[in-house]
Amino acid sequence: MSELDRQYFEDIQIGDEYLSPGRTVTEADIVAFAGLSGDYNVLHTDAEFMRTSIFGERIAHGLLGLAIQSGLGSRATPRAFATLAFLALRWRFKGPIKIGDTIRVRLKVSEKRETSKPDRGIVTIQRSVLNQRGEVVQEGDTEIMVERRK
Amino acid sequence: MDGIRYFEDVEVGEEIETPARTVTEADVRTFAAISGDHEALNQPGGEPGLSSTIPELLVVAITSGLGFRIPAPQPQVLAFMVLDWRYVAPVRIGDTLRCRIRTTAKRALRDGGVLVEKREMINQRGEVVQEAEYKLMVARRPRE
Repeated sequence: MSELDRQYFEDIQIGDEYLSPGRTVTEADIVAFAGLSGDYNVLHTDAEFMRTSIFGERIAHGLLGLAIQSGLGSRATPRAFATLAFLALRWRFKGPIKIGDTIRVRLKVSEKRETSKPDRGIVTIQRSVLNQRGEVVQEGDTEIMVERRK
Repeated sequence: MDGIRYFEDVEVGEEIETPARTVTEADVRTFAAISGDHEALNQPGGEPGLSSTIPELLVVAITSGLGFRIPAPQPQVLAFMVLDWRYVAPVRIGDTLRCRIRTTAKRALRDGGVLVEKREMINQRGEVVQEAEYKLMVARRPRE
């Protein structure tokens, strides 16, 4: 990957905003995530039980929504951040993601911080996950360590 | 007890350790396919070849599932409310992870109860690689 393909600490500005493409969350995603994580909670895997619940059907794992928005986030920025490490997350699961819902993520750079090391900095990104009705179903902040230009 | 555990049965301060699981390249590729985050497969700095580091959110996903393998009934989780998470050290392909879960607070609501848990993800050398706080809504004992 060349230097031009990536956004370094200096290139990222507070207030930069991005909106990702949408992705429809399917039954297959939920089944695959149950298999990968081992989380077979009835909320995600028992259609009969969930028919009688307030949701009326199976819902996606909160952490599946978190995983999908991270992938959407990587498609939202025309040039990827030169990320060295994912440091911290503060996250709220606000509403269900149901089978067939289409979600997008909105990213906004809210803070930039230098560190004691001159080759890197820390960037905080506010993220909101929106469904097809524009409702925020998850939101929070991520902190990443980003490379500086040499 | 009838083999079901409710909010009322959980005590603040109780601690439990999950069984362990080895994280493999197959897990990394499956996670990339599900999340759509293929960048996680690359080495930091854009070097060629598969990264040997496990994406942090995959570690969160796998350790969340480990709780279901505890050989004793656990309260039914009705909703995942809050996740506060912090990176401590890298996890690499082939590492074997387990999770130490400590209940630090609980609060009863009308239709359920909120449990606050401190979770530490631990590797085969006993090193903490990630720390998290979970807030979960779990089922209360049904009223007679």
